[in-house]
Amino acid sequence: MGTKRKIPLSIFAIICGIFMILPIYFLVIGSFKMPNDVFELEVNFSHLTFDNFRAAFETPIIRSIWNSLLVSTVVTVVALIFHAMSGYALARLEFPGKTFVFGWMISTLMVPFTVIMIPLYMVTKNLGMANSYLGLIIPMIFNAYGIFLFRQFYRDFPKELEEAAYMEGLSIAGAFFRIVLPLSKPIIIPLTIGFFTANWNNYLWPLIINQNEKLWVVQVALANVIGAEHETQWTLVLAAALVCALPMFILFFIMQKYLVEGVKMTGIK
Amino acid sequence: MKRRGNRKKRIEALTAYGFLLPNLVGLTVFVFVPMVYAFYVSLNDWNLLTPKVFIGFDNYIQMSHDKDWWQAVGRTFKFTIIYVPSLFCLSLFFAAVCNSLSQRVENVTRTLFLLPFAITSVISAAIWMFLYDPKDGIINQFLNLVGIDAQQFLGSTSQAMISIIVVVIWINLGYNMMIFLASMKEIPGEFYEAAKIDGATGWKAFQHITFPLLRETSVFILVVTTIGSFQVFDQIMVMTKGGPANSTQVGVLYIYHQAFEVLNMGYASALSVVLFLIIFILSLVQLRLTAKKD
Repeated sequence: MGTKRKIPLSIFAIICGIFMILPIYFLVIGSFKMPNDVFELEVNFSHLTFDNFRAAFETPIIRSIWNSLLVSTVVTVVALIFHAMSGYALARLEFPGKTFVFGWMISTLMVPFTVIMIPLYMVTKNLGMANSYLGLIIPMIFNAYGIFLFRQFYRDFPKELEEAAYMEGLSIAGAFFRIVLPLSKPIIIPLTIGFFTANWNNYLWPLIINQNEKLWVVQVALANVIGAEHETQWTLVLAAALVCALPMFILFFIMQKYLVEGVKMTGIK
Repeated sequence: MKRRGNRKKRIEALTAYGFLLPNLVGLTVFVFVPMVYAFYVSLNDWNLLTPKVFIGFDNYIQMSHDKDWWQAVGRTFKFTIIYVPSLFCLSLFFAAVCNSLSQRVENVTRTLFLLPFAITSVISAAIWMFLYDPKDGIINQFLNLVGIDAQQFLGSTSQAMISIIVVVIWINLGYNMMIFLASMKEIPGEFYEAAKIDGATGWKAFQHITFPLLRETSVFILVVTTIGSFQVFDQIMVMTKGGPANSTQVGVLYIYHQAFEVLNMGYASALSVVLFLIIFILSLVQLRLTAKKD
């Protein structure tokens, strides 16, 4: 295709792209406006203010960001280790019952979260983990998705590395933790992004399992700011929403390169 | 020698079990047991406060007459029927557009489309509630500019659902576009050159080369977005809570309402079991339909 034909197409693509981020523009601008001109389309620079953020900081938002960071990080790290171990065992080790274990684990993929949310709530509550970090974290660690992707990855992993490790006198576990796992970055990076965002985005589970305001995660805290008053205070809501969005925006720009590769790894294969 | 071999095998198997143990326990306790428990609870009358009473299939019989439930299921289908094809076509279209841009323009476009993906569901709800404001919302201001009266959007029984679908598409478009784009990039350039000789370029090339080669990706996206659309909850819960007049109360919202607001745990579990069957059958049908051509 000639470059000439590409110019109108490029303009079209960029315009559509700008439309895509227009809502984010209104979020950012709106959160700096005075309550009275929050709906004004023009931006009057002498009327911008930080007061909305001051008000937002008085809501449980900041605390909830820490809670979300804690929960998402712990879930991600623990899940990655557990899933890598299982994926490795299923891909590289021989043991009786392998096919059955793999089939059973994969079959849990068919169970959508919303279907088990009620019994999951009861099980977690009966284990004494309701209204605690444990209840927010532990049930979210286990899913067959990561196990499956690790297994795919380790099936194509070069055998020579493990053999060299065994020659050095390392055990299977030693070879895995010292040699194989550190070389698993191509799968660990996309899964880290995937697990972290999924947990950062989680709303339904924290809503159900935790009633303690101190442990609110960011999604629940923001939903409460939105629904707090009958007449919505838009400047406060937008400022709070922007604060909640910042950690992910930062992560997005750092990780965008990996995000693209991650889509290739986790999306299709 | 043979005994040493056995010992090695035993160690290998033990290591494997050790490696699998955390997930075996976790998946059992937090996925498998709840699944079975859901079915068991669905055979009981239970409000969490008093002990369970076994009532057999009464919950299922009650469900068959529950107009609110079937309407909620209908709304879920409505959501799916609008959301899935729109998202599919839009992401395919913009992936094709991106694929024919120069690398630099493509990168910019991709970033712009992906940015909403960095936003959580509740943040997206906050932004769009602001944009949709029935009195002075930004969208209504634009509509006024072109001479259209202010619309109710989330406050209207006929517009609320579509308004929410727009938000969910907005969030997910970039990501799905990326998946299409990634597999478009894997199609070898020679295919298009060969087609060019046969006179197939542009739309024709897309129709005869690109689209058929995207089959696997298409199936993947269709199945994943369909399952996702059956579970939509966050935006609806925040933006309308199922209203106005229940017009956005989809299946999951109704289950949530029965379970955690009315505390009808047994009944809500029965609803979950049926929702599972619906999702399960639907994904089987989808896989069957799309696998047919092979």
